[in-house]
Amino acid sequence: MADQKLPSAWKEAIDRVALWSRVNSPWLVHFNSGSCNGCDIEILATLAPRWDLERFGVKLWGSPRHADVLVCTGPVTRLARERLVRVYEQMPSPKFVVAIGSCGITGGAFHGCYNIVGDIGDVIPVDVYVPGCPPRPQAIIDGVVQLLTKLRPPRARRARAAGGGG
Amino acid sequence: MSTTDFSRIQAAVGNLAACTTPSESRMDLRADADHLLRAVTVFRGLGWGYLSAITGLDAPGGAGTEGAPAGADGHIGILYHFCQGPAVVTFRVEVPRDHATVPSISGVVPSAALFERELSEMLGIEVRGLPAGKRQFLSDDWPPGVYPLRKDFVPESAVAVAHSAPVIGSEEAPGTFIVPIGPQHPALKEPGHFEFSVDGEIITGASVRLGYVHRGIEKGAEDRSWVQALYLVERICGICSHIHATAYTLGVEALAALTVPPRAQAIRTIICELERIHSHLLWLGVAAHEAGFDTLFMFSWRDRETVMDLLESVTGNRVNYSVNLLGGVKCDIDAAAVDAIRRGVDYLEERSRHYLKIVTTDESFLRRTRGVGAISHEMSVRYGTVGPTARASGVTTDLRQAAPYAAYGQFPVEPIVSQACDQEARFVVRVKELFECYRLVREILDRLPGGDLAIPAPRKVPEGEAISRVEAPRGELFYYLRSTGGVKPDRVKVRTPSLCNWAAVVNVVVGQKLADIPVILAGIDPCFSCNDRSVTLRRSGRAGGSRAGGAAETWSWEDLRAYGIRYYGGSH
Repeated sequence: MADQKLPSAWKEAIDRVALWSRVNSPWLVHFNSGSCNGCDIEILATLAPRWDLERFGVKLWGSPRHADVLVCTGPVTRLARERLVRVYEQMPSPKFVVAIGSCGITGGAFHGCYNIVGDIGDVIPVDVYVPGCPPRPQAIIDGVVQLLTKLRPPRARRARAAGGGG
Repeated sequence: MSTTDFSRIQAAVGNLAACTTPSESRMDLRADADHLLRAVTVFRGLGWGYLSAITGLDAPGGAGTEGAPAGADGHIGILYHFCQGPAVVTFRVEVPRDHATVPSISGVVPSAALFERELSEMLGIEVRGLPAGKRQFLSDDWPPGVYPLRKDFVPESAVAVAHSAPVIGSEEAPGTFIVPIGPQHPALKEPGHFEFSVDGEIITGASVRLGYVHRGIEKGAEDRSWVQALYLVERICGICSHIHATAYTLGVEALAALTVPPRAQAIRTIICELERIHSHLLWLGVAAHEAGFDTLFMFSWRDRETVMDLLESVTGNRVNYSVNLLGGVKCDIDAAAVDAIRRGVDYLEERSRHYLKIVTTDESFLRRTRGVGAISHEMSVRYGTVGPTARASGVTTDLRQAAPYAAYGQFPVEPIVSQACDQEARFVVRVKELFECYRLVREILDRLPGGDLAIPAPRKVPEGEAISRVEAPRGELFYYLRSTGGVKPDRVKVRTPSLCNWAAVVNVVVGQKLADIPVILAGIDPCFSCNDRSVTLRRSGRAGGSRAGGAAETWSWEDLRAYGIRYYGGSH
């Protein structure tokens, strides 16, 4: 597509459609790089009926090749480091990363353990951090919504802030 | 009962090992490395107990002699813990630090292989006769000759060494088709890597590589104070955090000889049972999801929120509740909470009746579970499975009844056992255990003792060692704690239930259909964050291979596209 030299009006229109669909239906891929599991089950709980993250068009998907957003949990262990980079590299651009939990920010309770190489930000670029041990489902929803708001085109964002629907 | 057992054991192995009884439920047998195998063989001949854990103990001052002065050239102690009911028989072997070698007992006790692999990786003990295998939980770039659980280990010494990425299926017979799964995998929320060799749709071999979540908690606990380590062990697993903290606090309280108020013990027990309810409902949903039954997944996760609300209202957090203190608990259950818990439990009981009906009558679901992944009773005993997985194969052990801890002595539990051995039995056992949880919670609330919530605990814990065993939602959880009288633990050894169940499951998938793999794996309720602080197995022993030319592992989007064009272009 990229090398077909589209007229700029067409390209702009296609970009707008792509952005519209990305904001309204982001697909997530989840990777645990050394978490205790607490954040992971809260992510799952967030997708379950009570919290229902899917109402934002979000879908948890298995393959990084089809995903827009990488949701990471845990500190990064020596063995998982390579795999985290690989999953990130496999995602098509543009791609975004949400790090869930205190461990992803600082290493958390595991700070200083010998098999921890660092936090998620040390290994791949992170767009949104959600703190907590583990964060409550509301916080996870807030993190994802913050990311989506950031992606939204500026005009629509302003309209929404002024009380417009969407 | 244990006294007569102990005298029987002493009579049998007394000439091979020196017997002492440090407490009425414990017996130590000191053997030297040359006699160990014979002593264990004779001991197994008695048919007493099962191997619960093997602890490696790097004590430069000598593992067996408490309080001996620390010296550079000490010994490494290896402790083989056999358990039956509340009784623990420990074989203690000491080997010199610079020449640490013991015979493998896996020929006599097959479930020992896992624990022995851990000894060799973490403490550098050469286990003679253990089948050669690849490194399991330290990373591939971990330098050889560096052992993290030795006392002189410094993290700086673990400099990454060059390694070659293993090639999938490189040592299998030519023509064998390997299906690699993981570590990033849609069905499992935690990373583990599996390789299944298949003949058509039938599995002919299986191996697993874990360690993606290995964080180094046992070592980390040695760098923290007794109180700080409590919060670390609580984060071994986010699903069963309270039971880890309970096992740890019970051990420390035994070391410090603290008598915990009965109200604290009762509250601990209630939280244990609420945690079991949340864990089993979580498992029910995940296992149903693996079988393609997403409706049940959504229903059970919706109902699980009821118990999450209860846990939150009592403790203030949905996960990692931090209820335990050394010497008691930090939150009370007041009258309003009692009412809320009763209402929640009533609702969940009604829902669970519905789930029991579904897992035993739904025709399409039964086709995924009945007769699938059967672990026979004999196999279950041989590979040392624990918890609901074992009870679904007719093993009656439930530590809440066999070796009561916390308040389980006053509130007895009836173990739920099934003889059916298959996947359906694992569903039935867990759902029926839920009813037992509800009954127990109500009973404790009826007779909740009054009094204090906690007593002060000393900052320094007296010298000694303690073994603490509790029944986690996934089975027996084993803690070994050792103190040298300081503010920090000298050794915290954790053996988690998931570790014990791997051997059986990796063997049972052979001959099954590939499509049944997710269901069978989910059947043991595997918990990687638990067992990756420890080690696991590889069924087919394989040497390391190297990728020819060291080609890049990751293909970019453009690479893939170009490859696709080449592939399809070439076929026309």
